[in-house]
Amino acid sequence: MNGVIAAISYRALLGRRRIWLLILLPLVLLGLAILLRALGVASETTTITLMEKFALGTMLPLLGLIAGTGVIAPEIDDGTVVHLLAKPISRPAIARTKFLVAASMLALFAAVPTFVATYLLVDLESGIAYGFALGALAGGVAYAAVFMLLGVLTRHAVTIGIAYALLWEGLVGNFVPGARKFSIQQWAQTVADQVSTSPFLSADITIGFAATALVLVTVVTVVAAGRRLRSFSLTGDE
Amino acid sequence: MSEPTGVIHDIGYRHYEGVRLGRRHAAVALAVHSLRGVFGLGRTARAKIIPFLLVGVMMLPAVVSIAVMALLQREAMTYPSYAVTMQAVLAIFLASQSPYTVAPDLRFRVLPLYLSRPVTLGDYVGAKLAAMITAMFLLLAVPLTVLYIGELIIDMPGPPHTSAYLTSMAGAVVYAALLACVGVAIASFTPRRGLGVASVIAFYLLTSAVSAIIAATMEETNNYAASSWAWLINPFFLVDAAVQVGLFGAAPSAPGAYPPGAGVVVALLLVAGLIALSVTALILRYRKAASR
Repeated sequence: MNGVIAAISYRALLGRRRIWLLILLPLVLLGLAILLRALGVASETTTITLMEKFALGTMLPLLGLIAGTGVIAPEIDDGTVVHLLAKPISRPAIARTKFLVAASMLALFAAVPTFVATYLLVDLESGIAYGFALGALAGGVAYAAVFMLLGVLTRHAVTIGIAYALLWEGLVGNFVPGARKFSIQQWAQTVADQVSTSPFLSADITIGFAATALVLVTVVTVVAAGRRLRSFSLTGDE
Repeated sequence: MSEPTGVIHDIGYRHYEGVRLGRRHAAVALAVHSLRGVFGLGRTARAKIIPFLLVGVMMLPAVVSIAVMALLQREAMTYPSYAVTMQAVLAIFLASQSPYTVAPDLRFRVLPLYLSRPVTLGDYVGAKLAAMITAMFLLLAVPLTVLYIGELIIDMPGPPHTSAYLTSMAGAVVYAALLACVGVAIASFTPRRGLGVASVIAFYLLTSAVSAIIAATMEETNNYAASSWAWLINPFFLVDAAVQVGLFGAAPSAPGAYPPGAGVVVALLLVAGLIALSVTALILRYRKAASR
């Protein structure tokens, strides 16, 4: 952990236009929740559909992408990352700090709005609100770690990230059931299912596998990002 | 008093005395250059991977459909549903490539250099838009045409689906125009490519998810009129409802029906309005960028 690097990363994320995208996504979730509540269709099933499809399926990967790549990719793009890497700070510590910044953004912009939106719809019924908030937090942390590693590895991190989230988790996951085992979104849903007692929520992965996979993916990608930074060479843009 | 010592040497710079091709030629050159760049031509090998990978994915259903027609003598995919089925791939292509057309020029502040030539601001914006519209059209029209040629060669029993093919090509023009204008307009608001990609894909994901969720909820409460309107939030279903279903009478590609009657007019107006809004936003954005 390094306070200065954390402060710089926060400023890069919050000070520019990026912040509007980070605010817009949870606002749409809250707007949908208020709309469904006003229409009087706030049942347990619609809440679970909204949370699975929108909160975990759309908002979470997007926020993970924006925060995860946002902490490191712009600096690499600008070339200012060399000033950071030239300082006598251990590179794995830089990676850990930037990961913690991205993870905290996801807790604030994904997990908290998910809890509030679920609470607006069904109160604390069957523990759905706690379940999805925890699922969003766990999934968000894993997304932040994976997308930060992508940001260090390639300049096309955002494109590859959306291709993973849309094509692998969306399309392939629908046709090939086996692909669902290797999807952060499904792991997050499993966590949500484990915490809530609602009979309408079901996941096809065991919590043991999902929890292990979430922890493993997060730790391995953060360590890999640190190792990659140690031997980082800045290649010129086209 | 000393004599002046400064001398201007003629070091042999020569004036250009050839033909000046003028404004239109410059704008066309800019458009062609941008179009090549969208597909990574004239850029590094790494810039070619993503566009060509996505083109390959777009071709897959056409190839599979031709194989199914040849081997099983059965139709696999209708022409007008092609864009809707492949909407995620089209959206990823739009998101990953439209920032390329606008972001580098904004980031390196080279706009005054362009404008010091005969190219005007309108020419610049028009050339960039034309490049992206052509790219999106090619991305959609090439697999459709391959599929149609395949159908003609295999010669299935019954007449070929020429009208369905032409409907889908008309749809492709409007898809390309709407998607490219919205994509480039959103991307132009940030000089950072990564953020541009994220913003454009956020637009697609938000509209498609919101439309699906509202439509599904309305159907659950048996409010089918409201659910048919909710589909129009998704830009892909909007064009499908306005052009392919509304003007040419194809079967809807959304999971539910579109609003009938006045719905077609509203959908057409929405398409035109979105395009006009995007172009206006682009021109305003570039007026500001050019003045710095």
